[in-house]
Amino acid sequence: MRGGLHETTASGESMNILNPIALVAALLAIPIVLLYLLRLQRREQTVSSTLLWRQVILDREANTLWQRLRRNLLLLLQLLTLAFLVFALTRPYLNLPSTLSGRIVVLLDGSASMRATDVSPTRFDAAKAEVRKLIDELGPNNEMSLILVDGSPRALASATTNKSELNAALDVAQPSLAAANWSAGVALAAAAAGSNSTDNAATTLILSDGVNADDLQLLTGNARFIPIGVSGDNISISNLSLRKTNRGLAAFVRVTNTGSQDDRVLVSVHSENVLLDARTLNIPAGQSVSWTVNGIDPLTAWVRASIDQANHNALPVDDVAYVVNAKDATRRALLLTPGNQFLEQALAVLPNLQVTRAITPSEQVDGKPYDLYVLDGLSMTLPARANVLFIGAQSIFTTSGSFSNTAFVRAEQHPVLESVDWRPVNTSEVRRVNTPAWLKPVIEGQGGRLLFAGEMTGENAPFGRVVLIPFELRRSDLPLQVAFPILIANTIEWLAPPQGLNIPASVRPGDVVALPRDAIVQLPDGNRVAVDQRGFAQTDQLGVYKVQFKDVNSTFAVVFSNPAESKITPNPNLQVGGVTPSSEVKPQYSQREMWGWLAVVALLLLMAEWWIYQRGLPVLRRKKL
Amino acid sequence: MQIEPILRSLSSLQFVQPRRRPGVTTGERRSPRRGRSVEFADYRDYTPGDDPRRVDWNIYARLERPYIKLYEDEEDLTVHVLLDASPSMQWREENAPSSPKWERASQLAVAMCYITLISGDRLVIETSSRARYGPKRGVAATSGVIEFIERETLPAEIADGRVSPNRVTQSTNLNNWWKRYALDARPGLCIVISDFLDPDGYADGLNALGSSRLDLNVLHTLSPAELDPEFAGDLRLRDIETSATQDISLDDAALNQYRQRLTQWTGELSEFCRRRGGKYHLTDTGEAVEKIVLRDLRHAGWIA
Repeated sequence: MRGGLHETTASGESMNILNPIALVAALLAIPIVLLYLLRLQRREQTVSSTLLWRQVILDREANTLWQRLRRNLLLLLQLLTLAFLVFALTRPYLNLPSTLSGRIVVLLDGSASMRATDVSPTRFDAAKAEVRKLIDELGPNNEMSLILVDGSPRALASATTNKSELNAALDVAQPSLAAANWSAGVALAAAAAGSNSTDNAATTLILSDGVNADDLQLLTGNARFIPIGVSGDNISISNLSLRKTNRGLAAFVRVTNTGSQDDRVLVSVHSENVLLDARTLNIPAGQSVSWTVNGIDPLTAWVRASIDQANHNALPVDDVAYVVNAKDATRRALLLTPGNQFLEQALAVLPNLQVTRAITPSEQVDGKPYDLYVLDGLSMTLPARANVLFIGAQSIFTTSGSFSNTAFVRAEQHPVLESVDWRPVNTSEVRRVNTPAWLKPVIEGQGGRLLFAGEMTGENAPFGRVVLIPFELRRSDLPLQVAFPILIANTIEWLAPPQGLNIPASVRPGDVVALPRDAIVQLPDGNRVAVDQRGFAQTDQLGVYKVQFKDVNSTFAVVFSNPAESKITPNPNLQVGGVTPSSEVKPQYSQREMWGWLAVVALLLLMAEWWIYQRGLPVLRRKKL
Repeated sequence: MQIEPILRSLSSLQFVQPRRRPGVTTGERRSPRRGRSVEFADYRDYTPGDDPRRVDWNIYARLERPYIKLYEDEEDLTVHVLLDASPSMQWREENAPSSPKWERASQLAVAMCYITLISGDRLVIETSSRARYGPKRGVAATSGVIEFIERETLPAEIADGRVSPNRVTQSTNLNNWWKRYALDARPGLCIVISDFLDPDGYADGLNALGSSRLDLNVLHTLSPAELDPEFAGDLRLRDIETSATQDISLDDAALNQYRQRLTQWTGELSEFCRRRGGKYHLTDTGEAVEKIVLRDLRHAGWIA
């Protein structure tokens, strides 16, 4: 197929053929002419008399010229049809000047800044239109790969010459809400360009506004940058946060003008769809203005700030921001210790745990009881129903000596021991503690019991849940074991179970939120989705998500909050790899095949031939003659 | 020839005679001559030599002059059936078992003969090959008529055009045949069954028949293929009688012209007969014989 006259002097628009062997088919003209000559022999038909027919012939004598011409015309049309068909079979093509040649890898920027409307309708749609033009220009031997570069770049179509497949892949491409991961995109492009490297003619085309695209310098090989976007005027809400004041909540709004023109911006703040305040802010070019809205109901679930009106605002997605009034899920713990690096470290890394460290009990000044107490060798007066982790010597329990044969014998099934491997733990001296009946041993060693856990019930019980480690940590290698942080985490979780679902107040679009299975999430658009895996990934809408799990309700917000993407100033002079600018690229030619049109002409000729043959004979009642 | 079942339904028919023609013997038709029937016609003066038995004595007593009483004479009618048996009448498609056109034409001829015989008239039938049967009287002659016509059927290879009918060609000239027949024909009714497809025309022959005291009844038989041809394409038409060929490219326009020409030709023939006091009927041989005789010819006033 690529043989024949493929090597042509591409010095301009010239026509060549790909398949000269098909000219042999022109020999079919011989049977056509032969059939025509044979057809001239009339069928003989015996009739009772030619008397009347002869008179008809006399009447028609004037038409015989047309008759003869018509038959010749039919032959002419048949030969012409054959000529066009043969010509189509030879696959002629035109060398047309083209931006494309060889293998083409298209990197389509799908970052949030491509949603800007400075080119109509959006930068992304404009880029898609450019790609569509490139697909149209694609010659028969040009393969194209299409890569959408957003937060997680992926190939929409790889190394195909099928234009409809490319167009279909392009149709489904949508801009994301994240920044483009150009380094991953460049890696994909390199893979696509090198995948079929019989000749090194792959061209990488980048359609981007150049925002945050510095990683494109990593690109190697033949590359061209097609800049999209004209203006960088944009107003964004760059920050929205809530903080507690003595007059309720205060919302802090920061509005940034990343463009080059001063602007007057109308900003409004809503609390759960109720307008709290609106204000017109004058924001100079390239600067930010802050605004604080006070007196917000502390029980509000979430607050929304939006830019309602601005003159130079191209990117709509950063015009609205949400913040969730996070419920106080933090547990407060009092750590009473003379100093224990391992314990403090293990407690510090636990989420939603606020640890107050004290050396003596007298430092406890807060009248409010803590959620749990960690008493490391020290004692204090505890409130009723206290949850306590006792470590080491405790005056509250009597002891009867100690033992040192601490080899692991048996562990009970208990939440604090989940994933804890006690076997490698060695301890030099363990107190033999006389425990009440409700405090049950959960680990037994050869010499005695190594760990206790239990819970008292009743309204005025002195304790709630209690865990007792009957030895000093520094007399054991337990803190050095993998089991220690797990044991501490399990213990804290069991002593003071977290309230709520323990989810972050705000995430970026596309982030995965850790949610328990079977939680119900109500999306900002009102749809409800059940979480079927451990994690919720449908965070592609901006707004507030409501989560319901069992009888716990929670909310989180997906916020755009991406100052780099909000700065949408296009960068048309982006340096792409070590690449020559496009203006110096010598004119290239693509082969535009024409057989389709030739086949259409042949079909039309055939229809014309049939029409002329049938003219005046719409119904052919041909008897067997 | 399947005709016998039909003949029974024709037994009450007889031909309508437009004019009185002298007959040969006593029959059931009024004669122009005065005769001896019971129906009074006229008186005339007695002349010597008249039969005195025919003098009306009552008139003689009253007027004292002898008058002869004249009565209507009832004589028979001579019906001449002229059946064109030329190859064009017997044309059939190649390898066809029979010629539908000739089948129908000969059935019609038998029907005409039967009506003649059953109504007591005198029958003479002659074909274009100059073969003659008759004169005959009486219905018993019907089987003879049928045999006679069957003898006139041409061999298949001539009827479908595989062999040129050289022997027949000379005799198949309608004008010569009819002029010859008119020479010695008795006055009466002449029924011509033909397709009139003769390159020399028909006018002289029909004129000769009409001027020898024969009442012309022309039954023009054309087959469906002649009335509405279904050929198409480029053809070489060969005349079965003359073997002349004619190249023609047939399309709708040509077929339309043919139909126009046919209508004009049959119109001319009809007008020719009407002007000579004859009757003309165009028959599609694709139609059933009882339909043609009992409905069409009755409607056209040929038979009653």
